[in-house]
Amino acid sequence: MHDPQDTEILLVEDNADDAELTLRALKKHNLANKVHHVKDGAEALEFLFGTGTYASRGGGFVPKVVLLDLKLPKVDGMEVLRRIKGDERTRDIPVVILTSSREDRDIIEGYKLGVNSYVQKPVQFDRFVEAVAQLGLYWMVLNQARRHEEHATT
Amino acid sequence: MTQEFARTLAEISADCGRQVGVLVARSGRVEYVMVGDALVFENPNDAKELLSSFRNDPHLLAACVYDRNGHLFAAYPDDAAADSFPKLPAASGVRFVGPNVTFFQPVLDKGRLLGTVYLKSDLREMSQQLRLFALVAGFVVLGSIGVALALSLVLQRRIAQPILSLADTARMIAEKRDYSLRAASMSDDELGLLTDSFNEMLNEIERRDSLLRESEAGLRAILESALDAIITMDHQGRIIEFNPAAEKAFGYARSQAVGADAVELTLPHAFRQKHRQEMSARATTERTVQFGRRDEMAAMRSDGSEFPVELAATRIPRDGPPRFAWFVRDITERKRAEREIRQLNEELELRVVERTSQLEAANKELEGFSYSVSHDLRAPLRAIGGFSQILIDERGATLDDEGRRILKVIRDNTVRMGNLIDDLLAFSRMGRTAMRVKRLDMTHLARTVAGELTAASNLPNVDVTVGDLPAAHGDLSTLRQVWVNLISNAVKYSGTRNPATIEISGRTEAEEHIYSVKDNGVGFDMRYAGKLFGVFQRLHAASEFEGTGVGLALVQRIVHRHGGRIWAEAKPDEGATFHFALPNENAHPPGAVRTTSPKEEMTHA
Repeated sequence: MHDPQDTEILLVEDNADDAELTLRALKKHNLANKVHHVKDGAEALEFLFGTGTYASRGGGFVPKVVLLDLKLPKVDGMEVLRRIKGDERTRDIPVVILTSSREDRDIIEGYKLGVNSYVQKPVQFDRFVEAVAQLGLYWMVLNQARRHEEHATT
Repeated sequence: MTQEFARTLAEISADCGRQVGVLVARSGRVEYVMVGDALVFENPNDAKELLSSFRNDPHLLAACVYDRNGHLFAAYPDDAAADSFPKLPAASGVRFVGPNVTFFQPVLDKGRLLGTVYLKSDLREMSQQLRLFALVAGFVVLGSIGVALALSLVLQRRIAQPILSLADTARMIAEKRDYSLRAASMSDDELGLLTDSFNEMLNEIERRDSLLRESEAGLRAILESALDAIITMDHQGRIIEFNPAAEKAFGYARSQAVGADAVELTLPHAFRQKHRQEMSARATTERTVQFGRRDEMAAMRSDGSEFPVELAATRIPRDGPPRFAWFVRDITERKRAEREIRQLNEELELRVVERTSQLEAANKELEGFSYSVSHDLRAPLRAIGGFSQILIDERGATLDDEGRRILKVIRDNTVRMGNLIDDLLAFSRMGRTAMRVKRLDMTHLARTVAGELTAASNLPNVDVTVGDLPAAHGDLSTLRQVWVNLISNAVKYSGTRNPATIEISGRTEAEEHIYSVKDNGVGFDMRYAGKLFGVFQRLHAASEFEGTGVGLALVQRIVHRHGGRIWAEAKPDEGATFHFALPNENAHPPGAVRTTSPKEEMTHA
């Protein structure tokens, strides 16, 4: 595992297989070494807000993008999303929902809470790789650019 | 009588005198000239001669002629003493002197007095005549009395009797009130006419009486047979009429009720005061005949028990103080029925609520189920597919051809199962998600879909023509799905043809727009047409044509949700035509597109 400080992508995924597939997909685009993987919503929140396991660090981590599964143990994905978008410290982090679900209600709920993208995990691996990589990259790059902008203006 | 008789006698004697006069006059006339001549020529003998002609008349006692100076000129009879005649002639006329009658008649010649004739006649003849007259008069009087008696008898029989009989009849009619009696008609004179008129009047009275009776009987029958209790009362509320329905409803006999105070008798305490006030108010005002509406209230039976009624009170205006009528309907049954209905309704509502919550629960469960299917069923599938792909990608080189083929089979099947799950979810979602109905340009929609599908199919030999289609009212995304499924089906099953022709057309019927997709593909046997629209029902082997068996089921579900219908016709190897019909603006409401409320939309969205 890499240093959480360098985390560019926070992957929130309870399914180990899906996590591996996602990591492999990211690896294909050379993004895997900057991914921090947590297995439930509670841990994701601890990571982001610097509490619980991550309390020693004295502050949360700010990844460039969060890849968030919806069906999670303990705290589900929607709640995580709500907390991220409901807090000033994390509000600006782009969140991409990665889910098997094609249910409209999830999509609508997600967009209502301010999700930045929504990706359905395809069954076909190659398409999955493509989708993950594209969205992950898109938001990472966009976020990067925005941060630079912010630095430039301040 | 005596006066009359005297008058008659006088007339008779006057008449006698006149007759004497006339007699003399007649004689005189015969001999007038001669007497005149005798006087002119102063020839008394001639005069005597003339007078002697009275000899034949035994009643003539004496006669004489005076000259113009009143001196006796000639006398009859000859031997009569001169002093037996009046000294001087008196005025002309008849005089009764004792038993005799005298008569003077002047003899005139052209107005010049020549002399006077004197006649003296006894009254014996006259007496005889008088006696005769008296006799005749007696007979006449007696006869008159007889006739009068006879007449009165006749008159009594002919006038008084019929009148008495009329009077009798009238009295009897008055006593018995029997207008069928008639007076006997006895004659056809005025009395008969009177009787006839009387009878005619009786006829009329009898007719009116029977009409009156009939109408009264009719009214009474209504009163007697009415199902509502009808109570009439005077202005003070004393009961006048109490019909059988009232007897039954209140438990009083008519005889008990009549004369009693209606309010006291039939209403419970709570309603009495109000009703009395109402009645006294209405007793004086002419404002309206109707008290008001039917009031639901309680009434009281003879045993004191109360029961619900509907009471309509009316005011009956008449000469003098008005009367009132109550129409009272026992609504115990109705109340009970109403209560039952209310109860049933409440139960039904409860049951509906219960069922609705059950349905909602079932729906939730189903939603949860499909969510799970969507989420959890796909995850392992993704793992299988993903890892077999990785295996192919990363360890492919270490596998032989057979190993790689087997991995490909695994991967293909995961894809297929993924599609199946997606289709199945789409199908289940179709029943739950809201439709946004609006006007749709079906020509444009069909063209777009056909263009996309033929472009994606990589089949250059497919020729799709889209005619002018009537615009539809429906939900864009679901109807788009219909076109996608039908056109892709047509493309799929005619893909082996060269060229494959697909014709899309539409027409408008009375209450629906019909859209058709016709291909020249492999078609199917119409015997299996019933299986076309079932879920997972397929008419072709998967190895022949790919498919999950959900497409047409989904199409049918969408069309049905739009209130439409779908059917197909085909022949093996000669192509198939799928038609679907959507209700148009002329359609009756049951066929109309079901729209969902915003609330429903929120829940399912």
